[in-house]
Amino acid sequence: MTAHGKQTEYQTGGFEPKIMAYVCNWCTYAGADLAGTSRMEYRPNVRIIKLPCTGRIDPLFIIKAFENGADGVLVSGCHPGDCHYTTGNYHARRRWIGFKNLMEFTGIDMRRLHFSWVSASEAIKWVDLINKVTDEIKQLGPFMEYKGLKGK
Amino acid sequence: MPRIGIFVCQCGNNIAATVDTKKVAEEMARLPGVVFACDYKFMCSSPGQDMLKQAIKDNRLDKVIVSACSPHMHEKTFRKASEAAGLNPYQCEITNIREQCSWVHHDKTKAAGTAKSIDLTRMTIERLKKNKPLKKINIPIKKKALVIGGGIAGIQAALDIAEGGREVILVEREPSIGGNMARLSETFPTMDCSQCILTPKMVEVELNEKITLYTYSEIEKVDGYIGNFIVQIRRKAKYVDEERCTGCGECIEKCPFKVESQFEMKLAKRKVIYTPFPQSVPNVPVIDAPNCPKIQKDKCGACAVVCGPKCIDFKMEDRIITEDVGAIIVATGYELMPNERFGEYGYGRIKDVISGMQFERLASSSGPTGGEIRRPSDGKTPASVVFIQCAGSRDEKKGVSYCSKVCCMYTAKHTMLYHHKVHEGQSYVFYMDIRAGGKRYEEFVRRAIEHDNAMYLRGRVSRVYEKDGKVIVQGADTLSGNQVEIEADMVVLATAIVSRTGADTVAQKLGIGYDKYKFYNEYHPKLKPVETVTAGIFLSGACMGPMDIPDSVAQGSAAAAKALSLFSSDEMMREPITAVVNKPTCNACWDCVTACPYSAIERDTVKNRDGVVVRWLAKVNDGVCQGCGVCVAACRSKAIDLKGYTDEQVYAAINAF
Amino acid sequence: MKIPYYPGCTLNTVAKGFETSAKEAALSIGFELAEMPAWNCCGATFPLTPDNLIALSAPAKVLSSARKTGESLTTLCSVCYNVLKRTNSVMKNDREKRAVINGFIETDYDGSLNVTHFLEILRDNIGFDKVKAAVKQPLTGLKAAAYYGCMLLRPFEDMGIDDAEDPVVMENLLAALGAEAIKSPNRIECCGAHLAMTNEDIVVKLSGTIMTSAVRNGAELIVTTCPLCQYNLEKSQSRVASDTPGYAGIPIVYFTQMLGLALGQDVDTLGFDKNIWDARPLLRKKGIIK
Repeated sequence: MTAHGKQTEYQTGGFEPKIMAYVCNWCTYAGADLAGTSRMEYRPNVRIIKLPCTGRIDPLFIIKAFENGADGVLVSGCHPGDCHYTTGNYHARRRWIGFKNLMEFTGIDMRRLHFSWVSASEAIKWVDLINKVTDEIKQLGPFMEYKGLKGK
Repeated sequence: MPRIGIFVCQCGNNIAATVDTKKVAEEMARLPGVVFACDYKFMCSSPGQDMLKQAIKDNRLDKVIVSACSPHMHEKTFRKASEAAGLNPYQCEITNIREQCSWVHHDKTKAAGTAKSIDLTRMTIERLKKNKPLKKINIPIKKKALVIGGGIAGIQAALDIAEGGREVILVEREPSIGGNMARLSETFPTMDCSQCILTPKMVEVELNEKITLYTYSEIEKVDGYIGNFIVQIRRKAKYVDEERCTGCGECIEKCPFKVESQFEMKLAKRKVIYTPFPQSVPNVPVIDAPNCPKIQKDKCGACAVVCGPKCIDFKMEDRIITEDVGAIIVATGYELMPNERFGEYGYGRIKDVISGMQFERLASSSGPTGGEIRRPSDGKTPASVVFIQCAGSRDEKKGVSYCSKVCCMYTAKHTMLYHHKVHEGQSYVFYMDIRAGGKRYEEFVRRAIEHDNAMYLRGRVSRVYEKDGKVIVQGADTLSGNQVEIEADMVVLATAIVSRTGADTVAQKLGIGYDKYKFYNEYHPKLKPVETVTAGIFLSGACMGPMDIPDSVAQGSAAAAKALSLFSSDEMMREPITAVVNKPTCNACWDCVTACPYSAIERDTVKNRDGVVVRWLAKVNDGVCQGCGVCVAACRSKAIDLKGYTDEQVYAAINAF
Repeated sequence: MKIPYYPGCTLNTVAKGFETSAKEAALSIGFELAEMPAWNCCGATFPLTPDNLIALSAPAKVLSSARKTGESLTTLCSVCYNVLKRTNSVMKNDREKRAVINGFIETDYDGSLNVTHFLEILRDNIGFDKVKAAVKQPLTGLKAAAYYGCMLLRPFEDMGIDDAEDPVVMENLLAALGAEAIKSPNRIECCGAHLAMTNEDIVVKLSGTIMTSAVRNGAELIVTTCPLCQYNLEKSQSRVASDTPGYAGIPIVYFTQMLGLALGQDVDTLGFDKNIWDARPLLRKKGIIK
């Protein structure tokens, strides 16, 4: 175990995917907090980066995550119509539609990328989502296409 | 090199049970830039906070991380403690290793929790290295409010703010305040007379020194932001000098021309120089210019001849005045859907088919019949009246999809008023459902049915037509399964409530949102019911949707309380999480302007010494920006960034993944 | 001026008087109803059942071939008008259905045809004031009730010829022709339509209400735009008369027959003889015909 390397590994006996999650501060981050407060349990593979709004997410964030060794990326924010900033998540959704094609072009299997709406009260949804995403990516195996892009 | 301190909280056993906090601290201490790392039982306790402060001082730390519970819990606590130790509060970051780590990963070997805590803390360290000191934003507050709309909601808001000791400007489109409530006869469920409870409040508005009343005026333009709005108000020409007019009414008496009265819902006529109703506030008449022969063709002028104080001026023109205010309360109210839309009910074609508001005027003791129920066609007292509910409401095809909320109640009231005034009369009510949710509302409807003899028929009306001086109503009674035909003397439609004509233009001037029916959007339907997305602009009353008097008054007071709490300090402190434009790289594509949900980005110019515009660029208004960052992701030239969530910070965290 | 015209099956058979009177009337106001070549049946009401794509192909074929030679298409029969106009709106607005239908009938029609009713031509293109000026034999003293039925007006979003609940177009036309237009409250109710084949009792009941209501409101004659309404009303006459004391029957005529009459056409060319209930004795009594 080393703090210097990329994501810290621990012994489970098999491939453990590394998943990056970009979530908004108001809905999904609070929903993930609620999962903790309710002492639910989910797979430990996800690392969260909190942003004010999914509308803040630059498509490059996603590519950069893959470049840095992520095997999967998850984006989650408020449900349409519930955005703390009224319309931020609509911008995210619209951007997502255009971005999808670009992702395929850059060689990323779309099954490695998940987009979801999780509200502040949907702890169960968050838990199910993380488990589902982790298991799916485990099935896909490690993301090798970008390995070696970054000198380490 | 920064001097970073790491504090890993055990939170008793809450974190320590599944995370080896000591190991996390040890691993972190090995990272470049980290000069101090420790774990502690309860970081948020006083000794914990003291320890943090002491460590900052002892180790000359310039950035700190507390790996503990969710930042939603204690971010403020630790930033405050860091500030007390001399750090900029935004140099303190929290890593969430409790809610999003120790509590959700129950691995007793601590392997998973520890590994994740190390990763999360490492990502926070790299992010923190890019943190810049930020300063809270101070916004000066102009302690004066503007209330748009002088109906009951606006009146209540203005009075409450004035009572709180602040100045208020009340703008009303009509020549008098009072709004729709001034038209009503009695009010449900207490049956007190509408004017009797409203007019004292209107007079109070007129007498209150803190309130400046601009009637016959409209909002022309709104600039600025919370605490600092600049509002232009169009004061339409009344052709009567308000200062000198004594309200004697001689001019109205002498005016020889009459037109239909909008206040009386076209059931009566008024003069061309007029006050809408006798208790108008202010009691100053206005000249209805399009109908005045003197103004149009220079004929007549009788009013000016009889006016004692010589205050009539046919040459008067609209004036635009400018006011600076700190908060705006929008209370523009509602109107009724045009009944002519419903050909099957014959409104407009059959004289004795009237709207609920017209019935209010018939039942009002100050109305055109002096409170006697007489039908418009021949003035006869109707022996039977059919009330048709949901004329336009809950009818997506021909009207609106929503429920107009007040009609069930006022129709019950109408049947009672009718029964009280015409003892032998029979009333029928065609309804879809009776919606009487409210204090003492259900009892009120029962009273109409049980004591005042109203015959309620559950079903819709298919056709209304005239026959031999009667109004024939064909409809269905779905409870008995029969088609019914009623020979009535009069039909009253409970017409749908709709937003004011021009509500959308007002919203656009203010920069607030509205729905597809042009009702204004509250910030949050439950938790922020009177706020709008635009800070400093509040809503009250039926401009947000159908609403009865108690709710409108409550909202007027709520909006006033919001304005008063804003006025309680001279300056407003705001989190400095706002967007900022990098001037050299902005190429003025305005993508950010279109993306911004708050209209917080302006089109700014750069001028040369001669004052000639040489460049355009985006400029963020700190007072309005809410820090969502939508503009940052929208910007193609990466010329706009979000303080506290800069691209640099986010990429640093990603790179440490 | 030639206006492309779609007659439909009924007007070529049982409602011949409807067509001939319209054609003649058009000529005397100065335009010609030019029958489109090689038309087929509009499919009557069958195309309007939900999810019945194949049945939309018949009207789509009519529309598509009309579009090849012109920009608009006029009809007389209410049912044809309804079917064509609604099919046209499907072709214009429903991308998926349009693709399937076009593929099936091997064409590329896009819904750009303007489907109008003859009444709209009179009202909007000619103008009722011009019609009034062309009147040679005003229908003075004739109390005529316009009967609209369902198909001309509904569904109101698609048809839009007039206010679906309070139409005035036929009343205005009758007034222009010099008649006294009677408004009966039942003038937009259904006559029973195709139930004539399966349940005549309902047709008699519904048609009976329409006719007795018109008579009660003082009408001497009912004017219609629909061959099916005309048929149902006339067919029900005798049974209604035997069920309703004091009701002696009322002639049911097409609006174009009254138009032709007022414009001075020879009464024998208007097809009054094809109607079961002869209107001519009434017209003679009123001094409108000899």
